[in-house]
Amino acid sequence: MEEPRIGVYVCWCGTNISKMVDVEAVTNEVKALPNVTIAKNYKYMCSDPGQDLIIKDIKLHNLNRVVVAACSPRIHELTFRTACEKAGINPYLFEMANVREQDSWVHTDRTEATNKAIDLVVAAIRRVRYHEPLQKRFVNVNPATLIIGGGISGLTAALEIANAGKQVYLVEKSDQLGGQVKKFDLTFPHLSSAQQMIRPIVQRVDNHPNISVFLETEIREVTGYIGNFKTAISVNGGDPVELEFGNIIAAVGLKPFNPEVISEYNYKEFPDVITSFEFEEKLLAGRILTVYGKEPRNVAIIHCVGSRNKKYHEYCSRVCCMAALKYVHQVRAALPSANIFEIYADMRAYGKGHEEFYALTTHRQIMFLMYDQQKKLPVINQADRSDNCNMIIEMDELLSGQSIEVPVDMVILMVNMEAQENVKQVVRAIGVSLCGNQFFIEKHPKLDPVATTTGGVYIIGTCQGPKDIPDSVAQARAAAARILGAIAQGSVPIEVTTASVNELLCCGCQTCIGVCPYKAISYDENNKVSIVNEILCKGCGTCGSACPAGAIISKHFTDLQILSEIEGVMSMS
Amino acid sequence: MSVRVHPELRNQLMQFGIGDWNACYHCGTCTAMCPLSEEGFLFPRKKIRLMQMGLKNEIESSVEPWLCYYCGDCTSTCPRDANPGELMMSLRRYLTSIYDWTGLSKKFYTSEVWEIGSILLIAVLVVIAFLIGLPAMGYSFTTELTSQGGVKINSFAPIHIIEAFDWAMAIVVGGLLISNILRMYYKIIWKHGHTKVTFWVHVREFWRLVFNFSVQPKFGKCDDKRYWFSHWFLMSGYTIMFIVVVVFLPWFQTEKILPPWHLQRALGYYATFGLLFGLLVAITGRMRRKDVKFYFSHVSDWLFLVMLTLTVITGILIHIFRIYGMPYATYIFYIIHMAVLVPMILIEVPFSKWSHLAYRPFAVYFQHLKTHAVPRKTKINSIN
Repeated sequence: MEEPRIGVYVCWCGTNISKMVDVEAVTNEVKALPNVTIAKNYKYMCSDPGQDLIIKDIKLHNLNRVVVAACSPRIHELTFRTACEKAGINPYLFEMANVREQDSWVHTDRTEATNKAIDLVVAAIRRVRYHEPLQKRFVNVNPATLIIGGGISGLTAALEIANAGKQVYLVEKSDQLGGQVKKFDLTFPHLSSAQQMIRPIVQRVDNHPNISVFLETEIREVTGYIGNFKTAISVNGGDPVELEFGNIIAAVGLKPFNPEVISEYNYKEFPDVITSFEFEEKLLAGRILTVYGKEPRNVAIIHCVGSRNKKYHEYCSRVCCMAALKYVHQVRAALPSANIFEIYADMRAYGKGHEEFYALTTHRQIMFLMYDQQKKLPVINQADRSDNCNMIIEMDELLSGQSIEVPVDMVILMVNMEAQENVKQVVRAIGVSLCGNQFFIEKHPKLDPVATTTGGVYIIGTCQGPKDIPDSVAQARAAAARILGAIAQGSVPIEVTTASVNELLCCGCQTCIGVCPYKAISYDENNKVSIVNEILCKGCGTCGSACPAGAIISKHFTDLQILSEIEGVMSMS
Repeated sequence: MSVRVHPELRNQLMQFGIGDWNACYHCGTCTAMCPLSEEGFLFPRKKIRLMQMGLKNEIESSVEPWLCYYCGDCTSTCPRDANPGELMMSLRRYLTSIYDWTGLSKKFYTSEVWEIGSILLIAVLVVIAFLIGLPAMGYSFTTELTSQGGVKINSFAPIHIIEAFDWAMAIVVGGLLISNILRMYYKIIWKHGHTKVTFWVHVREFWRLVFNFSVQPKFGKCDDKRYWFSHWFLMSGYTIMFIVVVVFLPWFQTEKILPPWHLQRALGYYATFGLLFGLLVAITGRMRRKDVKFYFSHVSDWLFLVMLTLTVITGILIHIFRIYGMPYATYIFYIIHMAVLVPMILIEVPFSKWSHLAYRPFAVYFQHLKTHAVPRKTKINSIN
């Protein structure tokens, strides 16, 4: 190994670092350390002149290692790695010391902060000495895509990809396409027909030459990795069909909450207590009638059924408030003289046009009644003969402070959007994780909402969390764009800092296989050792720390590198 | 104990005024802004809620609508344009119709035909009484003047008959008003099952009724004090005129022309100025529609103003024509004066807007009775 010639650069970050850290003192302190060829400080290392400074020094002083003491590597590691590459050295021969988030921003004593900065920079210098050049790797992308779920999200994504001329395999568990939207009459807030919206989409998908639809089909196992997945499906119990594809979209959708568990509502007990999904059936059939075949004179709509309640689901289902207001318009149009009661816990009208829709609804002779979700749910009871109605809802009305009785003939329960049942199989097959509410977890809740931690696997629509049609469609198109981007590139970069097994040390205990979250490790029966698939490996390091024999090496996180770094932190004090 | 909601009551209430109270989403800005809302008697938000839910008994036992003097701050600060100020006004109209046991008040408030028709009918009866009734009894017009050159008014409108009629009218109107106040007391205080008010509290708090009737201190708490003054000026003028006309008519309606500084004329002038000033403020306010207070005008609001103005103007004209010895002009305007005044008193005082002269001070009195109410003793079952 050639002698390390390290360039150290301390960033002021304007006053962000320089205010609390004496950057000059840090520079002077590390200048004399072994292997440090040059040490400088500059106002903004990430700026073009700052990067140029590094590039020029690498060439001028023939540097082969670079340390930058600045902000978090999450922000600018890529910037400086690129600068190193430009100057002709391998980007992995670079190390960053975080003296802003972990130092200047969190300390109030300048001397202490300066000493800490010195420790961190020295650790980086010690570590970078043992860095090894690593090469970027790419895998080819199969241009076909597997989409699991034929609801509005899956259909939209399928059309988007197929219209770009790429093959789509659309797998649907039930016997028809269209998902939940197919069960709706109107949509909010424009009160436009859901059927007129979904039917042409289903038709286009059915007739599209680039889309193969598999109904009544479930995905059992998927093998492979980003760009090169494989699965075998059997249609109607027939011979398995082998599919190959480069990307996967999960759009498995939602399940309506079953209100039977809420004893207060007496669902099933009283036939005219129905869920919002059952009410949609009535609307699609064209008449709002009670089980007695009469038009109800009093209709109550109860919000947040199974939502925002720790006993059932703590989260908000997002769409039920607006769907309930939609029913107000529909009931008012069908039964002009009916009394309509909106029994709500909080009105959530967050979306485009939603607040206006709510305001419009308030002018339609509705009685809005508020209940306290945390204290007491409304109770639906059988009415007496003298009550002149079918049922009585008893509730503590929050805005008036009164305990009231509401006469009703029909009650619509706005049921929560639950995660789809039996998704564990799909989850395991495609390698995504579930949150506490059984929804699929995205890669980053804000910055990467449709990708997952598994490369080439995307999640869209209500399987990721409750959402309305526009949000589902937006996610579908976003995932399609991501996939078409990867297909257009032809290949995708894969993780460089992967793990590898030293077969001489491996005892074949297979501990690593159990802990790997990416299914990247398999067991070689012939040689009795574990093998890492470097395309699947994300370099998380779990196997390396679990291996009892020390046989697994995580590239860029070798024992030597980490121990040197620790020595560096300890060396100055 | 739970109470039944009544959606249809809300629709009924809409007839008593202008507003879209369902727009209210209960932020409570109105109650926070109101200088009169106080602990235990919070409004307007709570009252909007009762209305939205159609809680009949709760509305009828409310004293709060009468504690509001309609400055309009609630309406101008309402983020939903739900118009809480006009809601309180409409509730006052509704309550007036509820206190009234004859059912006429509701008819007058909700039907313009009923209100204007009744006024016209009474006016016609008054005119007939003067043109046919009095002559038939032997009283006739005379063009003969007094020694001072004034009109002999008492020969046209004999003082004892007018006075007797005044008293009769005062007794009828007063009787109706008192019975309505008793109903108001029953609904606000008596009906309340859990509490009772001791006799001593009734006596101790009585001064509030007198004080609030004469000064209207609550009105003075509204931000714009000018309206308190114009209202008080009008109201004091009206009260003086009422007492003078009903109790001291023989002293007031004289043929002798007294010097202008004489108490009879001085009181008359004060009352005239007070009424005119107050009316001017209210009429121009309602025409300009600049203040929220005057933005919305129900038929009953205009009728009241127009009739009172006509009464004052004809009264002034009678005074002038009498002094300057113009008999026919005096007689004609006397008839018009009575044809406006009589229906105004008969309809407005017990059944319509003018009843507030009694309900407002009584409401403050009842408010303080409520504050001092004590829990009723629960009956102990005497099993052993």
